[in-house]
Amino acid sequence: MKKVPTIILYVFLFAASILWIYPYVWMLLSSFKPTNEIYSGFLPSQFTLDNYRFILEAADKMERPFIQALGNSIFISVTVTLGVLVSSALVGFALSRLNFKGKNAIFNFIIFQMIFPGFLFIVPLYVLIKNLGLIDTRTALILPSLVSAWGVFMFTQSFRAVPNEYLEAARMDGANDLWIITKVLVPLTSSTVSIVGLFTFIGIWDNFMWPLIVVSDYSKMPLSVLLASFNMQYGSYLGPVLAGSVLQTMPMVLIFLVFRKYFLQGISMSLK
Amino acid sequence: MRVRKRLKTIDAIKGWSLSGGYLVYTAIFWGYPFVWLVILALSKWNYFTPRKFIWFDNFIELFQDEMFWRVFFNTFNFMLYFIPMVLGLSLLFALGLKRVKLFRTFFILAFLVANVSSGVAYSIIFQKLFAINGPLNGLTRAIFGITIPWFSSPQLATLSIAIMVTWKFIGYYGLILFSGLQAIPESLYEAAELDGAGKMTKFFRITLPLINPSIVMVLVLSLTLTFGIFTEPFLITGGGPMRTTYTFQMLIYTTAFQKINPGYASTLAIVVALLSYGCVLLTRKLVEREVEIV
Repeated sequence: MKKVPTIILYVFLFAASILWIYPYVWMLLSSFKPTNEIYSGFLPSQFTLDNYRFILEAADKMERPFIQALGNSIFISVTVTLGVLVSSALVGFALSRLNFKGKNAIFNFIIFQMIFPGFLFIVPLYVLIKNLGLIDTRTALILPSLVSAWGVFMFTQSFRAVPNEYLEAARMDGANDLWIITKVLVPLTSSTVSIVGLFTFIGIWDNFMWPLIVVSDYSKMPLSVLLASFNMQYGSYLGPVLAGSVLQTMPMVLIFLVFRKYFLQGISMSLK
Repeated sequence: MRVRKRLKTIDAIKGWSLSGGYLVYTAIFWGYPFVWLVILALSKWNYFTPRKFIWFDNFIELFQDEMFWRVFFNTFNFMLYFIPMVLGLSLLFALGLKRVKLFRTFFILAFLVANVSSGVAYSIIFQKLFAINGPLNGLTRAIFGITIPWFSSPQLATLSIAIMVTWKFIGYYGLILFSGLQAIPESLYEAAELDGAGKMTKFFRITLPLINPSIVMVLVLSLTLTFGIFTEPFLITGGGPMRTTYTFQMLIYTTAFQKINPGYASTLAIVVALLSYGCVLLTRKLVEREVEIV
């Protein structure tokens, strides 16, 4: 049996990598082209910012306030991410570092919760949000995701792995619980913290079905839903649609590239 | 003794007030919807007029619903394209990664970046790339003189969506398989070579059996994913052509929020979750093997 020459393997992998990145490159280049050039030619013959100008200014008059939506998306994703991190750290601390009756039962319940897929809850959660009078508010997009069973699970697991000596030393120096969480436990488990934060942020940023259901007011929509509705109604404005897609994609890709180390750790962690 | 007891009480107070917060939140945003899920599944309702208990009528209706079976068939049709494609390609990717020493991180990132694409944005991009007058058809027209109706022909539309989802997940699944491959000790292959084992034998007798846990993991993830697909068909095909790309999630969504029938939608959600578990359990039963590397 002969081995495939390594050089062919490299050529093949490079070709495949380019093919895999191609949709992104096409999107990015096309968003700087005049609309009539998008389907012809690869590089823009002239570099234009018209599509972005259109989406940030003109689209506002078409009832599609993209800047507002971008702000909404950032606000919602950041709030939820902070909420999940803080709540997971506090509850994770209690379940891993405090001794009290029933904590194992609570931990088992959290694992039990994770068995149920999210789509089971969409309809009844809508009923709840409706009863609370929160339809068409940003709160409806934030509140149901503020605490995450998965986040608590991840934090509890990694806090447990921190050796007791660190905590005792800190207590000796008179540290209180809050100090121990923020200055001892969190820094020692920074990869878990980043993974939970990143996956939560991206999950909320990218969420489509839930905001589609609870928000119909254009000014309260996150970018994902506003972009989809713009594409459905004004799909022929190809350039602006692609500029909007760049706007929606770039934060996720940038975060991915900056925190790539943690992503890789996150994937290998989910294997255990 | 007394100090320890007091410390224990303090721990209990702190512990319960922190996890109590969690439990209250969960009771509202998880427990309450959970109970409602069951109630709704047994009711007929339109969100406004009084709710009516109809017990298992929703479930009976579901099994006679032509649309349910249509979507059921669509889902398995999709799996038939998606699962072999995604498993085969991510295995190839993992094997390729294992062989190269240089640029490994670059290859991983190139494939993984697809995984962080936004559902809405990548649906739009593929819709345009695969459009009748889009770049891909421009290419096939120039080379072969044919135009492929990627999203407007019934069988092709399902395949096209499977291709998109495959594009998105190869990097992730490939890495799972890759870390499985990394765990196989090199000495096993060396021993096999001494015994005169060929490439094929090594692959089928050592590699495949030993990465069984990773393969099961990829299968379970891709099965669960199949039952959760919504954004792609919703935005690109709207379930068409001829309802061939209609998914369970779309059916739940339209039943609950366009046909205003939350009871039936909840029944659907429960049945879909059970189906998804069934598939996962069946796969584990058929594919999972005990593996031990000594």
